[in-house]
Parts: sequence; structure tokens; C-alpha cells
Amino acid sequence: MTQTGLLEMTVTESGITPGKGATIDTTTTLADLNNAEDRTLVGRAADGDVRAFSVLVRRHSPILRAYARRILGSTDDVDDVVQETFIAAWQQLHTISDPAMIRSWLMRTASHKSIDRIRARREHVDITDNEPEAPPEHTPERTAIANSREDALSQVLSRLPPQQRECWTLKELSGLSYDDIASAMGIPTSTVRGLLARARRTVVSDMEAWR
Amino acid sequence: MNDFRTPDAPGDPAQPTADIDGYSLDELSDYLDAGQSPADPGIDHSPACQLALDSLARVRAVSLTMLEREATELPPIDESWIDNIIGAISLDVHAGRDIPLHHSSPSVHLSVTEGAVKGLVRAAGDRVPGLLVGRCQLIGDVITAGSHITLTVETTAYWGENIPEAVTQLRHAITAMLAEHTELVIVSIDITVRDMFLKTDEAGEEPSS
Repeated sequence: MTQTGLLEMTVTESGITPGKGATIDTTTTLADLNNAEDRTLVGRAADGDVRAFSVLVRRHSPILRAYARRILGSTDDVDDVVQETFIAAWQQLHTISDPAMIRSWLMRTASHKSIDRIRARREHVDITDNEPEAPPEHTPERTAIANSREDALSQVLSRLPPQQRECWTLKELSGLSYDDIASAMGIPTSTVRGLLARARRTVVSDMEAWR
Repeated sequence: MNDFRTPDAPGDPAQPTADIDGYSLDELSDYLDAGQSPADPGIDHSPACQLALDSLARVRAVSLTMLEREATELPPIDESWIDNIIGAISLDVHAGRDIPLHHSSPSVHLSVTEGAVKGLVRAAGDRVPGLLVGRCQLIGDVITAGSHITLTVETTAYWGENIPEAVTQLRHAITAMLAEHTELVIVSIDITVRDMFLKTDEAGEEPSS
């Protein structure tokens, strides 16, 4: 594209996107961006580079989906939550204090959005034990033999009572505070501590075999 | 809702108990979360606490690899799902401040957005081999024509490149680009090379981050 074309794109008429600058001939390829560290991509995306942002989406969405599924169970909510997480990220990229830690930021945001869903479920469904179903890998055929530490942990978690599992996931996987977990689950912080204490004891002792 | 039994009655076995040399597993977990800082000699000098900390850290490490493995086992992401995200964010351009452009007719008010200028800086940088431009910032009163502006640019260098030469090229490219398309008075371009990375030519999907 020509230089003139570039200028046209920069004038503030009719909502022209600065990120469209990516269409000019460059020596920077998608492979370069794919290889770039998060910090660089977050910096570019914060400045409006949609292409860099799409690399971040592709890079981090698998772990976020796996993570949201741990909290929500296997539902359509998972992909919605991850999508909302990325849209929130785009809006708040410039406020992220440590761009290199974008994954933690995304996971924290995804947990808050997942929690909103859980709350909504609690409000709309009138059952006392409305817990998210366990992720689908917790089926009997998968729990027969643990072939790895990861399998073993997955099985230990699947055997925990739902509330313990939920507390453990929110604390250990997303690093939420006790208060945040309490508010998310609608229970007192002291209860969260109690549930976590049990969950941790079980998990740690059951995982000792895998030292 | 919420009518399950609260386990915080006195003597409830679920309450954290100080059973590891005077510390509970939860206190040790919080200590781990805090990066074992400030140092607690009671924990640091207790073999039992160190063993428990090791166990907690190991479980945490496994929980991350478990997630990573589950991530690879999920059905692949639908392209339209990604398109939806990109479509949604494209409506929200990071425009920033309006930077005035002179026009011969006093009735015409032209401006360039700060976001567009950053796009120009990136575009200039993307043509310079050896460096990848990250974040840039325009420091100064850009909304007032003629203000002195400092531009800061973060970059990453490719391994094996001549960095001083690449930085000089980048500086020239940015200067030329901004001179051509804007009326900004750039008094200084501060380029920081933050890191280095290996360039690969494959458009691989697995980033090396």
C-alpha cells in the first residue's frame, strides 16, 4: 500500500481503524509476532495493534478455556467467558501494570467472569446444591488409573465435594483472595477457609504418592 | 442457596489446625503465595514446614501442567469464535488524543488520532529488520500544535542482529514517517531494547514464549 494510503488511514474520519496499518508491506511477519514475548504483544495491542492482539488470543485461549471449564464445568458458558475476558483485556490493556504477566491477568479476569456466571446460576436455579458439574474428564473410565501426576491430581479433585473443589480451584488455580472466593460463592470467609483447609489436606496427602 | 452447613463451629475439624510445627497447611500456603516473604524463621528453620511447603509447591506446579494438558485436549478453537472477538474489539479503537493537523482553510479542522500515530510508528518499525517494536508513547502536549514531543519506543531485538545499527535505522524510519504524515515536533526518540529473541521463519502456531 502507498504512503498516501497510510495518511488516509490516519485521518480521524468515519472511525478509521489505526490497526489497519498492519496491511502495509512490512518485514514483520505473523511468525515474528507469534514468536514475540507477551510483553511486546501487549504493548502493541495496547497501542491499537489488532494483529498483535489476535496472536495473544490464539496463544492464551486454550489455557483460559481449560481453566474456565474447571470452574464452570463443560458448558457453552466457557467460550463466552473466555471471549468476554479477551474483550475486557483489549479495553484494559493500557492499565495492566506488568504486561509480561498477561496470562495471570487473563486468568484472574476469567475467574471473575466465571464467578459471575456461577452467581447467576445460583440466583436462577432454586436448588440448594447447585454446583457446577465436574469437568467431563472426571468420568469413571478416566479415573481408573492415573498415568501421570496430572491425571492423579485431576482424579483427586474430582473426588472432592463440589464446594471444596470450587474453593480449591479458585484459590490454587487463579489465586483469588479468601474474601473474593467468599463473595463469589456467597458464603462467609471463615467457611471458605474451612473448605479450603479440608481440600488442601486431601489434595496434598493424596498427591504424596506422586512425589 | 447457601444453606449448607457452615463448618466454622467451635471445635469443627475443618478449622485450620496448627499441626505442622505450630503452623497450619493454610498458613504455609499463604506463606508460599507471599513468595515466602517477609521471611518467617519459624517456618524457614522447620524441616516439617519445609516438607509441607515443597508438597504445596509441587501440587501447584502440577495443577498448572494439568491445565496445560487439558488445554491441548480441548476441541480446537473455532475460527469464527476468534473472529467474533476481533470484530468486537475493532469497534473500540484505541484512539487516544486528537493531534491537530494544519489545513489551509481555517474552517477545516483536521486531526490525527494518537492511536493512528502509534500505528505509523509501528509501521515504520515493522519495516526495519532486526527489531520488533512493542509499546510506544507520545510524551508531551500533543493536542497543541508545535509542542515539543518525546517519543518512547520499546523494542525487542532478534538474536544475532547488530543492535546499534538496527536502532539507528529504526530512529530514521520513525523520524521520516512522522515527518511525512504528521506535524509533530519530535525533540527526542528514546528507543529501549528490552530483550532479545530468536527469529524463526516458520509461521508456527506454537509460540516460543
